[in-house]
Amino acid sequence: MAFSTTLYNTFFRRNSVFVSTIFVGAFTFGIGFDTAVTSFYDKWNKGKQWKDIRHKYVEAAEE
Amino acid sequence: MAFNGLKKAVTLTPSVRTLPSGVPAAPLLNLAARAPADPHAHGHGASGPRSDVTPKWVGGVSRTSSGLVSKSFVTLPSTTPFTARFIHTSVAVKSAPDVPDFSHYRANDTDSNRALSYFMVGSLGLVTASVAKSTVTEFLKTMSASADVLALAKVEVDLASIPEGKNVVIKWRGKPVFIRHRTQAEIDEAREFKWQSLRDPESDEQRVKKPEWLIMLGVCTHLGCVPIGESGDYGGWFCPCHGSHYDISGRARKGPAPLNLEIPEYDFNDAEGKVIIG
Repeated sequence: MAFSTTLYNTFFRRNSVFVSTIFVGAFTFGIGFDTAVTSFYDKWNKGKQWKDIRHKYVEAAEE
Repeated sequence: MAFNGLKKAVTLTPSVRTLPSGVPAAPLLNLAARAPADPHAHGHGASGPRSDVTPKWVGGVSRTSSGLVSKSFVTLPSTTPFTARFIHTSVAVKSAPDVPDFSHYRANDTDSNRALSYFMVGSLGLVTASVAKSTVTEFLKTMSASADVLALAKVEVDLASIPEGKNVVIKWRGKPVFIRHRTQAEIDEAREFKWQSLRDPESDEQRVKKPEWLIMLGVCTHLGCVPIGESGDYGGWFCPCHGSHYDISGRARKGPAPLNLEIPEYDFNDAEGKVIIG
């Protein structure tokens, strides 16, 4: 069976499956998107954020 | 004359060709034939001239000033517009206009097209659902407390610094909070009391998480004064504004106060010996 037919029979044939797939997909997509954007942001701003430079100041204060 | 009519799907057989004179061409019909002898004719005679009259356009005898003139028109002017009608052999017009052949453009695999269509619909739905979800959550986040408020929302108190039988009043979210390190005698007193008859019946077990630590909001439930500790008729708190008495468990025992002193949310941090209020 062709891939497209399998895809159709698995997800698209029943609307309940279709809609729930969309919602579950939206949920996972939201998590993945958040993670991706956050990691990109951290990479882009490497060395500028407080969590990157915290050790310089917190340790100095404790000593 | 222009032939403006629609080309309809009618193919007529020719009826009769019309001569330029307007006479239907009927070669085998002898218009000059005399009527046959008819014994039943009424007084016309057997061999007389025909009784019907020839039309004027074929000529005939006319009376002029110079005598009788007989004319026979051979080429007569047309009295009707001449239209030659022939059998035509053009193809009958089809009822539907010719549809081009689209088979070259048609997909030869409709299954993959269908799957792709549904996939695109589903992807759009997925993105829409994500957008809707993040819109709602971001909007709800604007209603929650900001970070600076949250930072002030919790208070940590070191319990080791409070000796037994002492009160501590701290400020939490702009309100005083009483922390009482109760003695065993006070705990017993609070627990043995028949609390069912109170105005706001609450057992001491409901009001404290650890029996030796009584933590409650120091705001009188009557009109919001701050009660005075270790005073009143019941050894607990006394509100000087209108004379409400609270017992050692913070329950309203006497006076106008309708409710017991309120218990805030708090948690013990046993590892560091601290209580976190909020």
